[in-house]
Amino acid sequence: MLRSLALILGIVYVTTGTHAQQAATGGRLIAFPTHAETLDNGLKTIVISMPGSGLVSYWSIVRTGSRDEFEPGRTGFAHFFEHMMFRGTDRYPADDYNQILTGIGASRNAYTTDDLTAYHFSIAAEDLALVMDLESDRFQNLAYSEADFRTEAGAVYGEYRKNVTSPFFVLYEAVMATAFNVHTYGHTTMGYEADIAAMPTMYDYSLDFFARYYRPENTILLIVGDIEAPPTMNLVREYYGSWQPGYVPPKITPEPVQAEARNVAVNYAGRSLPILAVAYKFDAFDPSNRLRVAADLLTEMAFGATSDIYKQLVLDEQLVEFLAADPGLNRDPGLLDIYTRIKDPSRIDAVLATIDATTERFKTTLVAPADLDALKSRLRYGFLMGLETPDAVARGLARSVAVSGGLEGIEALYRAYETISPEDIRAAAERYLDPNRRTIGVLRAQP
Amino acid sequence: MRAAALALAGVAWLAAGCTQPEAPMARAAPTVLLPVPSDPTIALSVSFGVGSQDDPPDKEGLAYLTGEMLATAATERNAYEDIIDALYPIASNYSITVDKEISTLTGRTHRDNIDVFFELLADAYLRPAFDATDFERVKSDAINYLENTLRYASDEELGKAALTQAIFAGTPYAHPVQGTVAGLRNITLEDVAAFYARYYTAANVTLGLAGGYDAALVDRFEATRAALPQGTAPPDPVIDPPDWDGTEVVLVDKPAADASISLGFPLDLQRGERDFYALWVANSWLGEHRNQAGRLFQVIRGARGLNYGNYSYLEAFPAGGQRMMPPVNVARRHQIYEIWIRTLPNNQAHFALRAAIRELRELIAGGMTAEEFELTRAFLDKYVLHFAETTAERLGYAIDDRFYGIADPGHLQRFRETLAELTLDEVNAALQRHLRYDNLKIAIVTGDADRLRTALIANTASPIEYESPKPPALLAEDAGIAEFALDIGPGQVTIVPVAEIFAR
Repeated sequence: MLRSLALILGIVYVTTGTHAQQAATGGRLIAFPTHAETLDNGLKTIVISMPGSGLVSYWSIVRTGSRDEFEPGRTGFAHFFEHMMFRGTDRYPADDYNQILTGIGASRNAYTTDDLTAYHFSIAAEDLALVMDLESDRFQNLAYSEADFRTEAGAVYGEYRKNVTSPFFVLYEAVMATAFNVHTYGHTTMGYEADIAAMPTMYDYSLDFFARYYRPENTILLIVGDIEAPPTMNLVREYYGSWQPGYVPPKITPEPVQAEARNVAVNYAGRSLPILAVAYKFDAFDPSNRLRVAADLLTEMAFGATSDIYKQLVLDEQLVEFLAADPGLNRDPGLLDIYTRIKDPSRIDAVLATIDATTERFKTTLVAPADLDALKSRLRYGFLMGLETPDAVARGLARSVAVSGGLEGIEALYRAYETISPEDIRAAAERYLDPNRRTIGVLRAQP
Repeated sequence: MRAAALALAGVAWLAAGCTQPEAPMARAAPTVLLPVPSDPTIALSVSFGVGSQDDPPDKEGLAYLTGEMLATAATERNAYEDIIDALYPIASNYSITVDKEISTLTGRTHRDNIDVFFELLADAYLRPAFDATDFERVKSDAINYLENTLRYASDEELGKAALTQAIFAGTPYAHPVQGTVAGLRNITLEDVAAFYARYYTAANVTLGLAGGYDAALVDRFEATRAALPQGTAPPDPVIDPPDWDGTEVVLVDKPAADASISLGFPLDLQRGERDFYALWVANSWLGEHRNQAGRLFQVIRGARGLNYGNYSYLEAFPAGGQRMMPPVNVARRHQIYEIWIRTLPNNQAHFALRAAIRELRELIAGGMTAEEFELTRAFLDKYVLHFAETTAERLGYAIDDRFYGIADPGHLQRFRETLAELTLDEVNAALQRHLRYDNLKIAIVTGDADRLRTALIANTASPIEYESPKPPALLAEDAGIAEFALDIGPGQVTIVPVAEIFAR
């Protein structure tokens, strides 16, 4: 749900940067002391020390999301597991688990996206060992009855019902299904509705899913806050050392190269202004792929808050309510997409033509160096201002850690951002903003 | 040891820096200062004593549009797109929260960039341009929000807005902060300028500064107060919600919608009062926002899987679906005790409604147990530390403390201190004094309004079936819930077509 939520909130993802940090820390992205270590069973742990706050943000990141749901009729299970993980173990049944976490005033939640499932806690530093005991137990020993499983399936269906009241979700679901014919990115994190409805009958499959994916080699602990690495790692070894490996990778079919433009029209049962989505095929996250790196900056310069098209469509002509573009940070090739809500249903084509004119201009014209510098400054200060609390740091890093397997990927990405030139941005536009490799989605309310 | 560690951990900020007198709604009092020298960022807050309660009749939405014309529009010195350009390289922004009673402009920047940022922010409230093109955009966005987003794309927020309207019917609290469709259409740019001149004055502003600022910035900031017209703090309108007899229901008829339910009644308590803090404990046990341990969550979702979540509130909590922790700067003189039952199938709505009200009755009648009380107290003592982890959030609480007249060290710390003293008897007595389970208002967004109306009036039994076997104790409880009487008379259910709600 991360992407669609970002759309709703109008968030553009390229918002973190690090140049000042690098100066202060000898070229490292994170200014705070960091420690990464992998246990013999494959469990990787990243510890980031932020002294003084008294708080710890504790993240268990499973590198499985809806991407890993490759079997027909089984979509939505990664998200479903996010729910089942709160159903307890023999040692800590759900009520006990809840009672213990309640007693320490933990702020806790979990979320699922295409590439990951994250379980996170914000706690007082003194409660770290207790939380590690609980978390290591449920990741190794989750036990739930078929009756609990069926009950939770009802709650998941409730979440789907809540989401489909949003036209953004409905359009997003249709665009993904159209853009991906074989890859699992074709379904959203919620899964297909028919699969969600059938979930109560799939108890045995759920046990398989857990056994395959909830393994140490497929999980990363990200622990940020008022802690030091050596004692924290001692706890990790104590609580997680006996976790048995056994990860079975999903059999995901790569999406063939798209040769022609695709279109999808959505008739929305409620009332809504039209929403237009333009989604280009994009590359997987790879900080060594220079054009992929440049495309992050291209997206912001072409469609961000200071772009010409934003000024034209949002501020001057006021044809649209908002314009949001997102270069997907994904493990497999995903989408670079643009979403906008159009005030006058008769002007959809005009808005699309303006988007096309923008993409053509970026393919032929170099951006001004001063504009590129302004973006790099924005990245720098955006990053610095984001380092406010342990939870903010962990939240900001979780996706890149899951997608790339550690902190190195995001560090390399930000180093690469510094080297991007106007020529790179033009080349990225040529490479990615290809009209034959896009899906256009239009949501209209039923007349 | 545990207490000492916690004091070091989280409480230092609660006690730090903020000096302010005990003086309810003392706008134009000294600037709220929260110095955090180690913080490389600076947060600023400019809170005016004006909100949607001040909207003139037939111009509902004027306070909202005025606020947006400050925060997302041109100033006399800069076109709006130039403001965006200037804020862009410093990765900073300012925005306004317009609520019922206050409108608060806030922003945060890195201290490297405070000069650029401060000038832009000060221009926003001292020198708004009221540009016609900006006005057209802001107004059309507000109308679209009501006509499309609230009515058709956000059933849960719609249910809450319908409840507020029902409870505060006939008062300036009734309409959404964004206004009504007809009210917004009536508003001219001249109205906005006049409204600004009346309410955005030195006598009606509270300034707040937090983080790694220096003394010179305090002086510059305070000089902006002097640059505002002196004005007077206009009197707050009287909010006197009508009494009603028996539980009343508004069904917002939205074709094809599942059921989203909100219910409640006016709450005669404010933060700062001891009973408020006592009731906080009981309410947290019943329905702490987004917390799985809450009783309503356990009964409706945990044990039965009917929906995604169920929560209860002592204070306004706008955009609850998008946030984990309570918002700041929605301070109000009047609150609703509110229960939120998240979207569920229409054929389970009656059951879930009964289950929630029955839980409320059980809590009022039986009180908390000693064990529940101690566990909830332990939970809240640490959980509230998450309410204001950042400097900007702490500043938000300090601004709200001014509104409520809560002196140092502020609301959250006062709560923790009171929490340590409270007894179970006090909590259970507060429940009896302030909560009720009859004479409610209920708002339900539903695609099944006619059937639901009939069932509610006839008090029809509402048994539900499950996908899986349930324990006998739960089924026995279900039998009680399915027939739980809500006492809703034929004249007490109103159906409102969704296309008409908030039209005027």
